[in-house]
Amino acid sequence: MDALSTLAFSLIVITAMVILIFRDWRINTAALTLQYLAVFYLVTLSWPIGLAIVKLIVGWMATAAIGLTCLRQIDFDTPAEPTSSLFFRGLAGLMIILVMFVISSTLQETVFPNVDLVIIRSGLMLVGMALMQLGTNAFPYLTIMSLLSFLAGFEVIHAALERSTLLIGLMASVNLGLALVGVYFIMKTNERTLVQKEEEDK
Amino acid sequence: MTLNTPILWVFLPLVISLITGIFYRRRILSLVITCTTGFGLGALAAFFPEDMVISIGSLTLTFVENLGILGRQINISYQILPFIAFIYFSTGLWAVGSTQPSVPESFRPTSLVVTALLTAALGVEPFLYAALFIQAAILFSIPMLSPLQSKTHPGILRYLNLQTLAMPFILLAGWLLSGVETLPPDSPLIVQTMIILGLGFGLWLAVFPFHSWVPMVSEKAHPLPVSFIIFIFPTAIALFSLNFLDRYTFLRTSQGLYQSLRAIGTLMIVLGGLWAAYQEDIKRAFGFSALAETGFLLLAIGLSDQVGLSWLLMLFPTHAISFWLWGFTLSLIETRTDSLSIRGLKGFARRYPVISSGLLIAQLSVAGLPLFATFPIKIALLSAGLTTSTGLGTWIFIGSLGLFFFTMRLLNDLVTPDEQQTSSHWTLTEKPSVYLPILLTILAVTIMGLFPHVILTNITDTLTAFSQLQ
Repeated sequence: MDALSTLAFSLIVITAMVILIFRDWRINTAALTLQYLAVFYLVTLSWPIGLAIVKLIVGWMATAAIGLTCLRQIDFDTPAEPTSSLFFRGLAGLMIILVMFVISSTLQETVFPNVDLVIIRSGLMLVGMALMQLGTNAFPYLTIMSLLSFLAGFEVIHAALERSTLLIGLMASVNLGLALVGVYFIMKTNERTLVQKEEEDK
Repeated sequence: MTLNTPILWVFLPLVISLITGIFYRRRILSLVITCTTGFGLGALAAFFPEDMVISIGSLTLTFVENLGILGRQINISYQILPFIAFIYFSTGLWAVGSTQPSVPESFRPTSLVVTALLTAALGVEPFLYAALFIQAAILFSIPMLSPLQSKTHPGILRYLNLQTLAMPFILLAGWLLSGVETLPPDSPLIVQTMIILGLGFGLWLAVFPFHSWVPMVSEKAHPLPVSFIIFIFPTAIALFSLNFLDRYTFLRTSQGLYQSLRAIGTLMIVLGGLWAAYQEDIKRAFGFSALAETGFLLLAIGLSDQVGLSWLLMLFPTHAISFWLWGFTLSLIETRTDSLSIRGLKGFARRYPVISSGLLIAQLSVAGLPLFATFPIKIALLSAGLTTSTGLGTWIFIGSLGLFFFTMRLLNDLVTPDEQQTSSHWTLTEKPSVYLPILLTILAVTIMGLFPHVILTNITDTLTAFSQLQ
């Protein structure tokens, strides 16, 4: 594992933990942006930079769409949480890290013998954390972020298995489509908040 | 002049849906465009000449089955056209149902997009890329299930989550399948591949325990889009799944796979039926019944050694017509009453006899009552189930009773006079625009039940697209 791979892997673990623990959209958007940078580097281990950069651009576009929509909304701040919630999610995240470390070697031996361990580990970390996130929140924007993380994790591993221009194009469409669905959900929430406020004012 | 069939059945509806999307607030215009496109493309597929040449006066159009995109192909062959005809007709039918003002305006354009993407999914080569087209169709279905004005309910998020999780499993299974063909049958990798594939399809088809979104969405979303979604996705995915059986010998010859499909199908029928039986909310009951019907689809594939695949294809049109009637009547009921609980509908049939009859007949048709559309197929599946194993047949029968039981409960409350209503007399208050579509559909449901071989066998020609499964 070279230094850059280690750095990318560490960045993935940290950003995935941040997205899992915190609910603030600003922190999560920043974390997702960094996460896509790490994903980009890991994809370059399997694909030429010219193709791998599609993942970075698409990822950043998706993050920007969600982040900018959150920025434009009123009253979008999530309610304050007790420290115990953060602690619980942090603990759950640590458990996921442990589980993924244990299963990644076995998975490499049995299913993906030709794939670098750092790629499998990073992909599994993203998938595991995203699944945990999906199971512990009901915020539309966090759900979309988790799904984007989940797909990024899958793409890291799948990039090492298959390369096809159509697949890259379709995956990019799916990622952007998910981001647009996220924007749609955020706008819906805001529209309702506005209507409720107007009714209260009257 | 040479044209490609994918341009006709994939790209043309996508462009038309874009136009419909631009004019989505003009209800009549978007309705006419969507209906014309749905029925027009359906009719074209149904009557398309086998030599793929259409002559209009001096103009001769020669159609090619393939269209190359980025090194891959979309292939709409002549053999798959009966199914394409069917899904486009169904889209037209649902567009007709969307005349009601309560139906989300986004329904018509997005329903066309969903159908076009599912058509592309059935034709893309390599066929595993279909997973991405299906995922795109799922994303497009969100606005029709959760319109801008409504609250984002947890069911829709769960729907999005579970359906999105399916795509990686299918793509991964595709990669694994390319390597396991040459392995010996007892290789553990084959079992792992089948598990991954099963998880992908389980998530897509909302197989227990991934089913929770179905009743949640059916309870909260508008019934017409819900009926469209729970009809078109399982139908297209069930047909797509036949690709795997067709192409991989080890899957086709695996007795364990068919046994698992029969067991899971029966489990779905029993759970869906029993859950539906004691529901209070009529929209939730619809969701649970849809789960039981997915069970019948799986059971039919599991019984492929006993003509199960023909029954699978014959189930599609019966589901289409029954689900449409169910969704249509539910949406009419929703706008005419405050409560959608069984008790809240007391005496409803006395005020709206045709809508109530439509709802009851849709439910009884799906449940498999004699004379109605699904009966001939359900009885064939039940007999095949009993032939395979008495236990299996018994459980299928028990599961099928669930919806009957619910319908009887509903019937009792619909006809019982409500003490709070001033008049308990039977009156026909529905307008012709409401009762005519219902009566016509009831007639179609009955004709399908009486003459199944005349009406339903055309679609079984689709099986010719799967050379190893005929």
